[in-house]
Order: sequence, then C-alpha cells, then structure tokens
Amino acid sequence: MMDDDAALVALVARGDGGALARLYQAYARRLFGYLLRLAGDRMVAEEILQDTMLAVWRSAGGYAGASAVSTWLFGIARRQAYYRLRGQPPPAPFEAVDRPDPAPGPEELAIAAAGGTPLAGAVGDLPDHHREVVALVFVAGLPLAEAAAVLGVPVGTVKSRLHHARAALARTLATQGVAE
Amino acid sequence: MNGQLLEYATGALDDGERAEVEAHLAGCARCRADVAAWRALAGGADPAPPGPELVHRVLLRSALDGPPPPTRRPAWFSLALLRAEARLVRPAVPIASALVMALGVALAATSPRDLAGQVLALVAPVVAALGIAGLYGPRRDPAFEVVAATPTAPALILLTRIALVFGYDLVLALAASGVLATLGGDPGGLFALVDAWLGPMALLSALSLVLAVRVGADVAAGVAVVLWSLRVLVGGVFGDTGWAFDAARVVWSTNAGTVLAAAVLTALAVFLAGRGEPIRRHRATYPV
Repeated sequence: MMDDDAALVALVARGDGGALARLYQAYARRLFGYLLRLAGDRMVAEEILQDTMLAVWRSAGGYAGASAVSTWLFGIARRQAYYRLRGQPPPAPFEAVDRPDPAPGPEELAIAAAGGTPLAGAVGDLPDHHREVVALVFVAGLPLAEAAAVLGVPVGTVKSRLHHARAALARTLATQGVAE
Repeated sequence: MNGQLLEYATGALDDGERAEVEAHLAGCARCRADVAAWRALAGGADPAPPGPELVHRVLLRSALDGPPPPTRRPAWFSLALLRAEARLVRPAVPIASALVMALGVALAATSPRDLAGQVLALVAPVVAALGIAGLYGPRRDPAFEVVAATPTAPALILLTRIALVFGYDLVLALAASGVLATLGGDPGGLFALVDAWLGPMALLSALSLVLAVRVGADVAAGVAVVLWSLRVLVGGVFGDTGWAFDAARVVWSTNAGTVLAAAVLTALAVFLAGRGEPIRRHRATYPV
C-alpha cells in the first residue's frame, strides 16, 4: 500500500496524469475532509484541494521517500491551506450593522452540511490548532506519529492537543445542553 | 488501557491490539463512553469530495499556467539589464557629453602646455555630473513607473545606470586624455592628465547622484553647475585668495579623501534609491 503510493508519486513526477488521478482517488476523501475542517467552507476547501493537487503535480519530483506519502500529501495540503486562508479578505464592515437574516446563516448551513449535528458545529468552534489536530487524526485518519510529522510537533503535543480539544468540546456541548 | 483508547478510536492499532481493546470494551461502559467521546470529535459525515474532474482541471491549469517562473536569474541577467537600461538613456545625453568633451579637448590643445590638465579637470567633472543628474527619478525617467513595478530592486537599477553613464563618461575622459597626451598637451603625460580630472569627476558625480535620488534631477544639475562655477571663479576671477584657493585645490583633485567621499556618497544614493514616498512624486497621480 505504502509502496504503491510511492510508485504512484514517482509516476506523477514523470508527468503521468493518470497516476495523479489514481493518487487523487486514493486520498480525495481524507484530504477533502481535512481541508473542509480547516477552511470551514465547501467552496474554499475545493479550491485548496485543487491547489494541493497542482502543487503535487509540480513538486512530485521533490518527494524523496523520507516520509510516508500521506504525510507528504497532508503537509502540502496544509501549506496550501495556509496560503489560501491567509489571503482571505476580512469581512466587510457593513455586515456588522445589518439586521440578522431569518434564513439559516452560514453556521447553520455548515452544521447541516457536516451532518446536521450540533457536534460538528462545536468542533468548528475549536481554536485553529486544536481543530487541525482533530481533522488530521479523526477525519483524515492519520496515525498520531504522522499527524505529528505533518504539524512539525512531538507526538506528545498531538496527544495533549487532542485531550484539550475533547475537553473543550465537552464543555461546549454541556453549555448547549446536548447530552454527550 | 486508557492510553490505548485514543489510538483505538483513531484506528491506529493493529489487529491484535484492537481485539484486546474490543474485548475490554465489551465489559466496560466507561471506556465505551470514552471511545464514543473521542469519536465525537470526528463530527458528522462529510459531503463527498469533488470527483475526478478536479484532476482534469488541475492538469489544465498546469498546462495553461506554463512552467513555474524561474526562481534563479539566468547568467546573462546583468547583461540583459544593462542592454535594457541602455535603451532608456536618451540619446541627447551621450551626444551632448561627447560634444562638450570634444570642445574641452580643443580648448586644452590650444591652451598653454601646462594648463591642459586643468582645462580637462574643469570639463570632465561637469559633463559626468550633469549626465548623472538625469539618471534617476520620475521627472527624467520615462519608464519610472514601469521600472518601479518590476521585481528588480531600484538600487540594482540605479547601479546599472551608474555603470552605464559614468562608465561612458569615464571612457570619454580617458579618450580625451589619450588624445591630449599624444598631442603632447601635458608634460606629465597621460597619467598626470587622468590624475587631474579623476577625483573631481568622481566627487561631483557622486554628489549629483545623491541629490538626484533624494531631491530631484533639476536640483542635482543646479548644484553641480554652481559648484563647478565656484571652482572656475576661485581659479580665475578671485585669483589667489588664500584659504579658499587652497580648499578648492584640495577638494578638486585626485586624493584618498575625494575618492572616499565619492564612494560614500554613491553608497548613500544606492541605499536611498526606491525608498522615497511614491505618492508625492511628480505626476504620480493625476490632478482631479
């Protein structure tokens, strides 16, 4: 499985578009889930996913096999997400004085899109570095060691962030009166 | 067991360990709740990712964008920059410089033998300083805005232009010295002739350069001409007026002090290039 992925990346490095499609098929769901948690918006997540695949297509020659293909892929996705999200324009000031719209807002829509549970909304409220760890471990399904490699932190930090995230989630749900 | 629950929830355990945890979970409600709490972090099901058409879009984008821009400058970059900047120098500048220098040579050749060097020391610096004054700045540079928008640093542009204009004036003055030396214009020969103009030329040009970069081409040209006139007056009308004559002679000669001052002023100009506030530039914005 691991060697298959490495062979795919080697084919991509030689300019094989079909190999890129196979690599995408293998990782699309996990990458998209991860980016969706990071971006909080489906369209933005799709754009970042496209940026990621473009970066993979262009830099596949730089993959030396020092890390697992999945670590490499999520590292690229994370970098692309930071490029894209950092450039996000701030919300327009007049929105603050606008009357609330009775229709479901983006948050409600996001909750509905993510499965319709208040849980997903609460996860979305976590601070960035907690949300990212949760997305890597539970959504993308990376082993803890790989998630640590992607983030560039020790495994212990990944674990402690997960515990913090879980505690924060429990607190949020308790205040919202949702049974765990 | 508690430590393994997280790994179990993430699915990172191998088959044996998983079976072990599952056996424990079957009889322990607290640990089952713990695993459920971990799994809750994953949130609900995600919408489906975009289909394989995304890869087609990526390949299309890659083909349309072309290869990524080179991060390293090619080896011939300096040469290309020199050629590009040479096209921005208005032809009037080198032509006028050459004509004035020719006039200087004619004057020096017809003057008494020991004055040839002094005549050249008066002509060469002002030619170079006026050429340098028009080197940089929004008023004189037709490509100022275009150049400001390129990734090439303003300091590099300025250095290139200095090399072009000052190099050209240097060649002119050397040629003039060569002509005069072969005509026997100075008893000291070529070396004495070059010694007469090199220091003043470097100092006056450097001063003119700083003013052109910091204040403007007109001020730079004006100051250069005024300083030059003072030098002429000190040598001529005022005659030998003691300290003023001595001071002018020290400054208007080739020595370590003048060369060092010229180098410092040039470095200052290169440092200042591109640091001005563009909004206050002449015609940077259209009047309403």
